[in-house]
Amino acid sequence: MEQLTALIIQKVPALAVAPWAVTLLLIGIVAFIILQFAMVFAGFGTYLERKIAADIQGRIGPNRVGPIGLLQFLADGIKLILKEDIIPTAADNHLFRMAPYLIFTGSFAAFVVVPFGFSLIAADLNIGIYYVMAVTSLVSIGVLLAGWASNNKWSMLGGMRAAAQIVSYEIPVGMALIPAVLIAGSLSTQDIIRSQGGLLGIFGWNLFHNPFSFFSFFLYMVAALAETNRTPFDIPEAESELVSGYNTEYSGIRFGFFFMAEYADVFVVSALATACFLGGWQIPFFNAASLPPVWANLLSLGVFMAKALALVCVIIWIRWTLPRLRVDQLMRMSWKYMVPLTFFNFLGVSLWVLVFKGKGIPQMIASIFG
Amino acid sequence: MSLKSYINDIWEAVTTTAKGMRITARYGIDVKEEVTIQYPEQRGPVFERFRGFLANDVKTCISCNMCVKICPVDCISLEAVRGADKKMVLVSYDVNIGRCMYCGLCVEVCPPKSLTHTGGFEKSMVARDEMVLHFIHEDAEVIRQRVARQVAEAAAKAAEEAKLAESQPKPAAPAAEPEKK
Ligand code: SF4
Ligand code: SF4
Repeated sequence: MEQLTALIIQKVPALAVAPWAVTLLLIGIVAFIILQFAMVFAGFGTYLERKIAADIQGRIGPNRVGPIGLLQFLADGIKLILKEDIIPTAADNHLFRMAPYLIFTGSFAAFVVVPFGFSLIAADLNIGIYYVMAVTSLVSIGVLLAGWASNNKWSMLGGMRAAAQIVSYEIPVGMALIPAVLIAGSLSTQDIIRSQGGLLGIFGWNLFHNPFSFFSFFLYMVAALAETNRTPFDIPEAESELVSGYNTEYSGIRFGFFFMAEYADVFVVSALATACFLGGWQIPFFNAASLPPVWANLLSLGVFMAKALALVCVIIWIRWTLPRLRVDQLMRMSWKYMVPLTFFNFLGVSLWVLVFKGKGIPQMIASIFG
Repeated sequence: MSLKSYINDIWEAVTTTAKGMRITARYGIDVKEEVTIQYPEQRGPVFERFRGFLANDVKTCISCNMCVKICPVDCISLEAVRGADKKMVLVSYDVNIGRCMYCGLCVEVCPPKSLTHTGGFEKSMVARDEMVLHFIHEDAEVIRQRVARQVAEAAAKAAEEAKLAESQPKPAAPAAEPEKK
C-alpha cells in the first residue's frame, strides 16, 4: 500500500500535499473491490452449490433466471433485500442487530491476507496465518451472540453448539497449518507461496513436500469444514433438530449476511488450503517474477482462482455426500482424533525440517538425478 | 481403546468417506439420471382414476340431491325446480372446491354418472368466492321465471286441451263406436 501511494504521488506530484488521503482512498478502493468479490462469490457459490447438489441428486437445479440460471443469485439477493427485517419483541435488540455484522466482518476480514496473485494481496501481513486464525474467531462470538440474542431455544442451542465446535476445531486447524509455516519459515501467506515455487512444478507444493505435510492437507480440510459449520459438521444449523440453529429468528438482509459469511468462509478456507499446500498462485514451470507484471498478475490470479474454486467444489461435493454428525461424535472426532493426529503431524514435520534441512522428498529425488 | 482399534477407526472413516464420494461423483457426472420434469412446459401423465376438480354435466344431472347429501363436508349445493315436463330443472349447482377434499363419494353415488372428476389440478385464485365453481351460468332468478312461465304455459295448454276435450263431443266417440259395430 505504501509503495503504491509513493508511486501515485510520484506520478502526480500535486497529490503530495496529502499523502494520507491517497492512502485512505486506496484502502477504500481495495476494500470495495474485495467486498464486491466476496459478495459476487457468495452469489456464485450458492449457484454452484445448487447446481452440484442437483447433479448429485439427479435433478436440474436453477435454470430459469438468466442463461442456465446464472442470474438466480441476483433474484435471491433482491428477494432477501426486499423482505421484511423482523426482529422478535423478546429478542435483545442491539445484540440481535449486531450479530450478523460481527459474523460477516469476521469472515470478510480474512480476505485481507488472501493472496490472489503474484502481487495481488490487500496486505501482505507478516503474521498472515495467525491473523486469519484470530480474526475468524470473531465468527464464533457472532454466532453465540446471534443464538443468545434471539431469545429462542433453538437459536440458543445452535449458538452453544457452534461456539463449542469452533473453539474445539480451532486447534486442529492451526496445528494443520503449521507444517506449511515451518517449511516456509514465515507466517506470511505470500512467503509460504513463494517457498513452493521452483522448477519442480506441482512437486514443489507443500502437499508433496513430505508425508506429514501430505496428511496435514487432508486434516486441515476436515478441520476447516468443521470450523466453517459446513455439512457434515453443521450441527449448529442442523435443520432436522434445531429448525435452522442460530439464524432461526433472522430474516431479510440480516439472514443474507449469515449466508454471505458462510460462503465467504468457504472461499477463505479453500484459499488458505491452496496457499499453504497447493502452491497458491505459482504458475507451474514458470517463474512468475520473470514475466511482465501485468501477465504475471493475471496468470497467477487465474491459477489461484482455478485451484481455490476446485477446492470449493470439493467442499460442496462433501456436503452432498456425508450425513451430519452427532454432537458427541463431533467432539470425539475433534479431541480424540484430530487433535492428536495434527500434533503428531506437527512433530513429524518439525523433525523432518530439522533432519533434512527443510528439503522435501521431490527436491531430494531431483538432486539425486542432478 | 487399543491403538489397533484407533487406527482401524481412522481407516474406516477414510475409506467409507471415499466410497460415498465415489458414488456421489458418479451420480453427479452421469447427467442421464435427471428425473426432474420441467413443470409448466412438460407435464407428467394424469392417471385415469386421478381425482381432480369436480365437473358436472348439467344436461344429464337429474337433480336427485344424492351428491349433496353424501358429501361429508357439505361443499355441493344445488337448487332445482320442477319443470313443465315433470322433470327437475337445475337452477343452480355450485361446488365449493375450497372445502372439497376430493374423496370421490359424490361421484360414486351419482345415479346417471353426470358428476365426474376431471384431471384438472391447476387453479389459483385471488379471492375466496372464486373457489366456488358454478356449473349453471345463467342467473337463478331468470331460470326460475322461465321455468315458471313454461309451467304456467303448459298448465294453460293443458287446461285448454281439457276444455277443448270437454267441449268436443267427447262421449260421442265412445257412443259412435257401438254404432259402427
Ligand atoms: S369429492 Fe367428497 S368432499 Fe368433494 S364434493 Fe364430492 S363428496 Fe364432497
Ligand atoms: S347425484 Fe348426480 S344426478 Fe344427483 S344431483 Fe348430484 S350430480 Fe345430479
